[in-house]
Amino acid sequence: MQQRFLNPAILAGISSLDLVAKTVVDGFVAGLHRSPDFGFSQEFAEYRAYTPGDDLRYVDWNVYARSERMVLKRYRGETNSPLTVLLDASNSMQFGSHSVNKIDYARYLAASLFYLAIHGQRDAAGLITFDDEIRNYIRPSTRQGQLHRLLAGLEQAEARARTDFAKPMRYFQELVRRRGMVLIVSDFWESPESVIRTIQPLRFRGNEVVLFHVLDPEDVRPKLHGPSILVDLETQNQIEVTPDYTRNEYRQKIEAHLADLRDRTQAAGMGYCLLMTDRPLDDALREYLTLRGVRK
Amino acid sequence: MGLFAPWFLAGLAGLAFPFYLHLLKRQTRTPKPVSSLMLFESRTQSSTRHRRLRYFLLLSLRLLVLLLLILAFADPFVNRDTATLSSVRLVLLVVDNSFSMRAGTRLSDARDRAMRVLSGKGAARAQVAAFGSQLRLMTQPIEDQSALRAAVEAIQPGDGHGNFGELARAVRAMAESIHTPIELHLFSDMQRSALAATFSDMALPANVKLETHAVVSEAQTNWTVESVDAPGQVWGKAAKPVHVQAVIAGYGTGAARRTVSLVVNGRTTATKTVAVPANGRAAVDFPGLEVPYGFNRCEVRIDAADAFGADDLRRFAVQRSDPRKALLIHNYGDNRSPLYVGAALSAAAQSAFTLESIDVREAADRQPSNYAFIVLSDLNTLPALLENSLTGYVRSGGSLLIAAGASAGARSQIPIFGARIVETRDYSRVPGRYMAAGSSDSSYPAVAKAGGWAGVKFFYALDVDPGDARVIVRLGDQTPLLLEKRIGEGRVVLFTSGLDNLTNDFPLQPAFVPFIEQTARYLGGGERQGGARLVDAYLDLRNARDGTSNGKAQAQGVEVTDPQGQRPLTLSEVGSAQSFQLTEAGFYQIRFADGRQDEVAVNPDPKESNLDVIPGDVLALWRGNGGQSSPSAPSAQNQSAPGAAAPHKTPQTLWWYCMLLVFASTVAESVLASRYLGTQREE
Repeated sequence: MQQRFLNPAILAGISSLDLVAKTVVDGFVAGLHRSPDFGFSQEFAEYRAYTPGDDLRYVDWNVYARSERMVLKRYRGETNSPLTVLLDASNSMQFGSHSVNKIDYARYLAASLFYLAIHGQRDAAGLITFDDEIRNYIRPSTRQGQLHRLLAGLEQAEARARTDFAKPMRYFQELVRRRGMVLIVSDFWESPESVIRTIQPLRFRGNEVVLFHVLDPEDVRPKLHGPSILVDLETQNQIEVTPDYTRNEYRQKIEAHLADLRDRTQAAGMGYCLLMTDRPLDDALREYLTLRGVRK
Repeated sequence: MGLFAPWFLAGLAGLAFPFYLHLLKRQTRTPKPVSSLMLFESRTQSSTRHRRLRYFLLLSLRLLVLLLLILAFADPFVNRDTATLSSVRLVLLVVDNSFSMRAGTRLSDARDRAMRVLSGKGAARAQVAAFGSQLRLMTQPIEDQSALRAAVEAIQPGDGHGNFGELARAVRAMAESIHTPIELHLFSDMQRSALAATFSDMALPANVKLETHAVVSEAQTNWTVESVDAPGQVWGKAAKPVHVQAVIAGYGTGAARRTVSLVVNGRTTATKTVAVPANGRAAVDFPGLEVPYGFNRCEVRIDAADAFGADDLRRFAVQRSDPRKALLIHNYGDNRSPLYVGAALSAAAQSAFTLESIDVREAADRQPSNYAFIVLSDLNTLPALLENSLTGYVRSGGSLLIAAGASAGARSQIPIFGARIVETRDYSRVPGRYMAAGSSDSSYPAVAKAGGWAGVKFFYALDVDPGDARVIVRLGDQTPLLLEKRIGEGRVVLFTSGLDNLTNDFPLQPAFVPFIEQTARYLGGGERQGGARLVDAYLDLRNARDGTSNGKAQAQGVEVTDPQGQRPLTLSEVGSAQSFQLTEAGFYQIRFADGRQDEVAVNPDPKESNLDVIPGDVLALWRGNGGQSSPSAPSAQNQSAPGAAAPHKTPQTLWWYCMLLVFASTVAESVLASRYLGTQREE
């Protein structure tokens, strides 16, 4: 029942991103049939013999009292994994064939991830909005009010200019210094090779990188009534295309493009998640939680 | 083959339009935005070629529709031999049964001629029609000889006035609906008076071939009662002597003495002998028409002793009834108004009203509804009770004449009429010392018969605000003088001067009598529609006033009884017919929608009594064959079987077929275009 609230068309009727995020995450979590309290408390891992130099605070004095042996009690390490979302705010993201366009869908997605990370995982979360430049940067943090800063940043992310991964990438590397999770939300209208080559350095720095590939249904299956003139939203170039082409050749090309991007991403050790804007957001959230579990 | 209107071929230039639409015009589409053109490739050339090939059939159909439409306007025709058309021709037999065909054996001769033509028509379809004042089809186009013969035998003499212009109009209408050649055979006495006003009115279409069959060859002498002038209504027992004047006419006759009789209700009441000059007219005057109360059927007869006995009498109907009462309410001491109004009413030729004059003090106990109309003369004060009583009388349909006189100036408005008094106009103080009547509405009967009131001097009048009243006469300075207003179902006429000789000299002028007489008739209502009418005239069964204001009268039925005692109106017509055509000569009894009864005498058109025939050259011109046959000596062609005429080319128009093809092509184009649109939607 709660899944109904993950439908993008319904979320489009909610004006507040905060409420959207809460609706999505609560609905999603309830759908998992688990306690919403995830409780990352410390868990016992093993005992290790004391060696000089170890921190005495971790010596299990109860064992020493019984056996006069000094052992250290080790716990499964709990990590705070900062989450950084790289949001593509180029012109192509404002395309939409139904009530939710790609940039809106990306906002809902990012808001939900932030909400889940800050309220659920208590992770630091940050945002980088880019097109062919870095438009906005909010440093990952767990400070009070961070979620509101992030949501405000999302609200300000207006689609403009064109996508260029190469140019802002060097700034990404400077901005994403601490190892963590980097989620890139984009429609990735570039050659897969170029995308992977540009993004791969983030992975080399020890980040867990996931590409959320947001596409409109008409990006995959364009609907044309007769020969039409198509305009590129980013470059404003125009070409005339026939319905026959879109039904046959284009579909083959887009499927090849998606498969290539997915394969190259996975080959580079990064995650890939294709999201259609007419589908619910839970796939993305599940991907995040899976990734978060791996890092824990 | 040719074109009747070749200049419409200029429309062929319009054929370029579909070409422009299909081949030259770029397909203008609203550009469709996409996220990226990265994976798209241009396919312009293939799409254009695809479109051209695909819509070729649609283009062809559109071109065909335009081409056929232009052809239809250009009106193409083919010349076809008349002989080749004989198998599809229509033989139309028209037998004249107008009033003049009652003379001698004209109608039976015409029927015999029609029978002969019918027997020689072969296998062609034929149709029989009678023609009096209008064409009456007796059969459908059929080949059955017995049915056609029975239809010819069934044609009875009528009382209408034949007009060949009307015949030609009816045949033109037939020719538009029947696209086969029509062979028109006209059996008639070819009366000269049946010719249309202009020859072009008698023109026949190209596919109609006229054959005339004249049953008489030359003019015949005839005596007739041309007209009768008699009143339709006489009033009371002591009515003045009623004169009946009749005009006796002779056509082609020599000087002779004729005996003329006046017949009332079947009894000859007077006989006179009159000398009629050669081929001329003479008037006869019967000075004393004595008729009893009620409706009386009267005739004027002559001893004509000619072959056309049906026109030797002329009917008229006279009704005798009691005159109705009118009431004049005047000021105490005013003796002039009753004197002048009463004298004018009694001086009228047919006084239908008796005037009762009372002063305003006596008016309270009178019942207004007992009077045909009421006159208020020069009232300075009007008791409220009387004013209310008169207002109710007017609202329920009564009529009132208000003469303002000299005293009303003290009031702010005219009672009952309701017009505000702006000021009083005393012309005795202006340099001319009087004012004459200025503009007047000559369509108003009280003014038309009074000669526009020329020479009447007005010394005093009230200037009133007419409001929604109709101003009939204005003085020279535009002061309203005579106004009329409808209040409820009644009407009020306001005369802003007086009916005495103090405020004007109108009562001393000759125009005063017709003014009072016509105003009385108008206000009294019940103008008789009866009297004498001509055959084919229309009689109003419901007047417009009944329809608009008196729904009760509208709902009531009318009743008409024709000279044979039959009731020609159907049940639905009894409740709704606005008028009725008098198709037979004789006396009609009528009960109108408002309950009045009347009797109408109907006479044939006097033009039917002139038995002069159309000259042969005029007939030949009408037939359009340059005088190859004459009515006096019908040629072998006329006598021969129809359809056996010498073959000649007749242009036959094809526009009808063009329009049919246009329709078919348009339907095909619509179906095809809608299929293409459907395909596009699926894409």
